[in-house]
Amino acid sequence: MTQPSSLPPLTPQLCFSTTALRDFLRLSRSAVDDTINQNLNALETPAKAGFDPTSTARLGPRPLSHQIDAASCNAFKDKVLFPSWQVRSDLISYCSLVATSPDPDDPERALREAENEKNWERVIDERLDPYSARYFPREARTEQLAHVLRQEMGANLFRTVIRHYEDKQYKRGLKAAEQILKKNPKHGDTMSMKALILNAQGKTDEAFALAKDALTIDMKSYICWHVYGILYRANKNFDEAIKAYKFALKLEPDSHQIQRDLAVLQIQMRDYPGYIQSRLLMLKSRPQLRQNWTALAIAYHLDGNLQQAENILSTYEKSVTTTPLRTDLENSEALLYKNSIISETGDFERALEHLETDCKNCLDRLAVMELRARYLAQLGRKEDAAKAYRALLDRNAEHPDYYKGLIDALGIAADDEAALKAVYDEYAAKNPRCDAAKRLPLDFLSGDRFRTAAKAYLTLMFDKGVPSTFANLKHLYSDGFKKDTLPVLAEEYLKEHSGATDTGGQTNGDSSKGEGAALYFLAQHYNYYMSRDLSKATDFVEKAIKLDPKNVDFHMTKARIFKHQGEIAKAAEAMDHARSLDTKDRYINSKAAKYQLRNNENEKALATLGLFTRAETVGGPLADLTDMQCIWFLTEDGEAWQRRGNLGLALKRYHTVFNIFDIWQEDQFDFHSFSLRKGQIRAYVDLIRWEDRLREHPFYFRAALDAVNLYLSMHEKPQNGTNGVEGGHANGDDAAEKKKAAKKAKKEAQKAEREAAEKAAKQDPNKKSADGDEVKKKDDDPNGLKLAATADPLGDAMKFLWHLLQFSPKNIEGQIAGFEVFIRRSKYLLALRCLKAALAIDKDHPKIPEQASRLRKALDGAMSSLAPKVKEVIDSELASVPGA
Amino acid sequence: MDIRLLRASDIPLIQHANLENLPENYFLKYYLYHALSWPQLSYVAVDVSRPQKSPYDYPKIVGYVLAKMEEEPADGVQHGHITSLSVMRTHRRLGIAEKLMRQSQLAMVETFGAHYVSLHVRVSNKAAIHLYRDTLGFKTERTESKYYADGEDAFSMKLDLDFIREQLREEEGGGEEKEGKESEKNAGKEGEEGENGEHADEGEPVGEVGRDPAKGGKGEQKIKVKVGRGLGVGELVEKVESKHS
Ligand SMILES: CC(C)(COP(=O)(O)OP(=O)(O)OC[C@H]1O[C@@H](n2cnc3c(N)ncnc32)[C@H](O)[C@@H]1OP(=O)(O)O)[C@@H](O)C(=O)NCCC(=O)NCCS
Repeated sequence: MTQPSSLPPLTPQLCFSTTALRDFLRLSRSAVDDTINQNLNALETPAKAGFDPTSTARLGPRPLSHQIDAASCNAFKDKVLFPSWQVRSDLISYCSLVATSPDPDDPERALREAENEKNWERVIDERLDPYSARYFPREARTEQLAHVLRQEMGANLFRTVIRHYEDKQYKRGLKAAEQILKKNPKHGDTMSMKALILNAQGKTDEAFALAKDALTIDMKSYICWHVYGILYRANKNFDEAIKAYKFALKLEPDSHQIQRDLAVLQIQMRDYPGYIQSRLLMLKSRPQLRQNWTALAIAYHLDGNLQQAENILSTYEKSVTTTPLRTDLENSEALLYKNSIISETGDFERALEHLETDCKNCLDRLAVMELRARYLAQLGRKEDAAKAYRALLDRNAEHPDYYKGLIDALGIAADDEAALKAVYDEYAAKNPRCDAAKRLPLDFLSGDRFRTAAKAYLTLMFDKGVPSTFANLKHLYSDGFKKDTLPVLAEEYLKEHSGATDTGGQTNGDSSKGEGAALYFLAQHYNYYMSRDLSKATDFVEKAIKLDPKNVDFHMTKARIFKHQGEIAKAAEAMDHARSLDTKDRYINSKAAKYQLRNNENEKALATLGLFTRAETVGGPLADLTDMQCIWFLTEDGEAWQRRGNLGLALKRYHTVFNIFDIWQEDQFDFHSFSLRKGQIRAYVDLIRWEDRLREHPFYFRAALDAVNLYLSMHEKPQNGTNGVEGGHANGDDAAEKKKAAKKAKKEAQKAEREAAEKAAKQDPNKKSADGDEVKKKDDDPNGLKLAATADPLGDAMKFLWHLLQFSPKNIEGQIAGFEVFIRRSKYLLALRCLKAALAIDKDHPKIPEQASRLRKALDGAMSSLAPKVKEVIDSELASVPGA
Repeated sequence: MDIRLLRASDIPLIQHANLENLPENYFLKYYLYHALSWPQLSYVAVDVSRPQKSPYDYPKIVGYVLAKMEEEPADGVQHGHITSLSVMRTHRRLGIAEKLMRQSQLAMVETFGAHYVSLHVRVSNKAAIHLYRDTLGFKTERTESKYYADGEDAFSMKLDLDFIREQLREEEGGGEEKEGKESEKNAGKEGEEGENGEHADEGEPVGEVGRDPAKGGKGEQKIKVKVGRGLGVGELVEKVESKHS
């Protein structure tokens, strides 16, 4: 246990020797207050409480991770904390007394008086000589002491502000800040802290205004600049934040904290040169930390300077004198990181050598084995490569790449089916439970060989009753022979086994096995787009259902068949029936909801999903699905609203998806420092590279394209003041109905909102500290009415479109939509660019000639308004597009 | 199906599979937290045979296991924990879950020196219980009443991983002649170190990143940007004084 601070003898001397006093005050704080956490941790005895599985819980409240027993906690409080505080407060009150008492013993008194007299003369001198040295009257030591004490108490208050802020006790923080400002209204640092608190309370504008005031008052305070940067950062204006941090650093070049904040922003913004600069400085100031070396290497690596990255890592390695423990994970990962850098240079010889010497004991065994196999293969060391791939297959025989690696290393010709099959057979024999070894040969076998192998595989799967058999084989259908053979084999199996289930024979009464499995396979076969015959599919699925009327999978497939028949309503009904057969399985629940959405039953779908969402989420299932970033639902829900003509809700959902991608991009923020601590550098680099292309994800593409197309239709058919409720596609009778439906939907949404609000109001206020925990920002447009009321749909579409074109340029639908937006905005060059991109992707796309001729027409019309140069460029470019 | 290690780019579809299959869901960031803390432990099953729809197709994830090491083991023993496991209904009973679990278990021992792995499962989840108990050999430690948000009880289950340690030792001992001696030595060493449960998870508290969003209150979930101590406002304090002194 830490020792409490002990009280030094209280004498005026102690008070007047301000350095000693200040030291004591500082130490008593940093040794006790600032380390309360550490002190508490030190009290913890891990094994005492025994294994507490709730600490691993996925649900339910999380217990405090540190359980300290009350006795030692109290002891700490009574024996260390309180006495220390007492000592400090005793000293402060004593010295305050001294400071305010007459001080006849002041040794400098005579001196001071003499100086003051001289000063009298100097004032006159100064008039004559304004450039002479300034005179500052000497303070009495009581005044100095009083100053120190005031500062201590002021600093205490300022610290309190910070503490409260960190603990999210915003109201208390504000109170403390006001206290300081009352005495010293122009205290820039306090104003800044107050701004920070206001921002945390969601009062962003007020916060910025105050922070700016603080800066004008105290331009030289690095705290003010730092806070200014933090505000920008919190509001996601990273560029401005970087600028502010740089100012702060100029004023306080030694602040590790600001330097670190700056560095994190730089890497977040992918400012590699800036990041390298920052990491260099950080390394210089603390070269003893391995993290700083690794970080600099990462900076170089991401900037594309492999050589320098490797050098940095090597320099650190050479500087270490003790051999790291074999269990040192940070070391192990750093070595593998270095190996990955070497391999990126393409020098596999050296990569292999490094791997076999430096990395041979690395803890990530799989990585070492995989890299080794790859290098050996690259270097043409076939025999060793074969061995290495065999070792990998012994670990994981379900990874097709390993078979491929082995086969390449063995030099087996692609058409030597027998030899290829032998490789797989070996592993099938070794691992009776292995699926890949039995299934993969079906990819390359042909003719009778295929027939035999397929028959064996199907028999095995049907006997076991694996419902996923079809899903596992349908990729073979690109081969016509295989597509025709598989159903024949399944029929054969049926003939051999029909009736077996009736007698309860080999299947132990589980009718999904044997006959049921074969019927199910055939139903899926005839439902599949490459082999579709929906009436046959229906036949088979009905037979299967007759065999096992409560089988979820069978009913699920029945629903799919309806869908393919275009019977959307029946499909939804059938899927919901399937759901009702297993109410504990969320998969079938999700599918039922999806089919309801396809049937434009948004409310019903939400209710269905609500059977599995967290009941306690304020705002109900929709809020839960949004919080949990359930993209598939948001997209399908938006599309259904759009079909129903509720443009507001449709836009709302697409925007929500957009925002989720913003969150995902921001999610990497904390990992810039976290990963350095954890040392899993390869995983971190993998993350960074993925985040760079985050929005190419089909999840983004689909919702964004929906949004762009919807905005396009809004532009074509402007809303007539019905709050965006009436749809772009609505016409005639339909429109009235849709209007009614939308009205009803709006009412329901309002009701849900009301209920949520009531529920929230009823919540136990003690659960959250009433004192201003982060406020969930209230959505001021839950139904997307404001979105739908836009006067500039094409402008709004741009937000979605830029990312589409930037991240998925090879997706033709994006280019086509881009053209449509640009031509309506009279951006002919950009329209042309989309058109040319589309042409490069698929020159036979039917949209291309149509768009080309429209562009031509538009250009002819706009002739006069275009600069001749532009016109010339467009003309020559357009000439090569068919249809123009 | 292809069973392989998780990559960052898989995560949106892992999250998707989780949302499709299970009521316990997490923010994307929580998956990132797993992928960046214990990248060796989480595996996915990928349907590699799907025809491409666009140049930006992402491999379809049909199953995943999301696993971690317990950061502060209450019993002081290094162990792994299964955060989430699921397989799309269209791909169940192919042995996918079993294989995902086995890969993860092996890495828990190899990379992190885990002694056992723990998990929770709904008492009504027959398929999962069969998998854990009968196929993989987990033992039920206890029943936790009302563990799940909807009030259902959970079995808290545990699998001793010493058998993997044993296997590794044998393999290393009986390995290629060239490395024979060396690895024997190492095998012994590893055993000792393993006993101490010593290993290298040395991160400071992970703060915002490490919280399981399915746990804890709403208020916590809303925090977007880490502020406060992470920003070192705490450090500003000493500076304030030195600045004025
Ligand atoms: C539990 C789940 C992951 C199993 O996945 P899977 O890939 O189908 O499982 P496997 O094929 O590896 O099967 C492993 C074993 O469990 C058995 N099994 C699988 N599903 C079963 C079922 N529905 N009923 C009985 N046994 C079942 C298999 O027969 C196999 O047993 P065996 O070793 O005796 O041959 C899957 O059903 C699922 O995702 N369910 C929903 C999500 C969930 O509940 N996750 C678990 C949360 S703790």
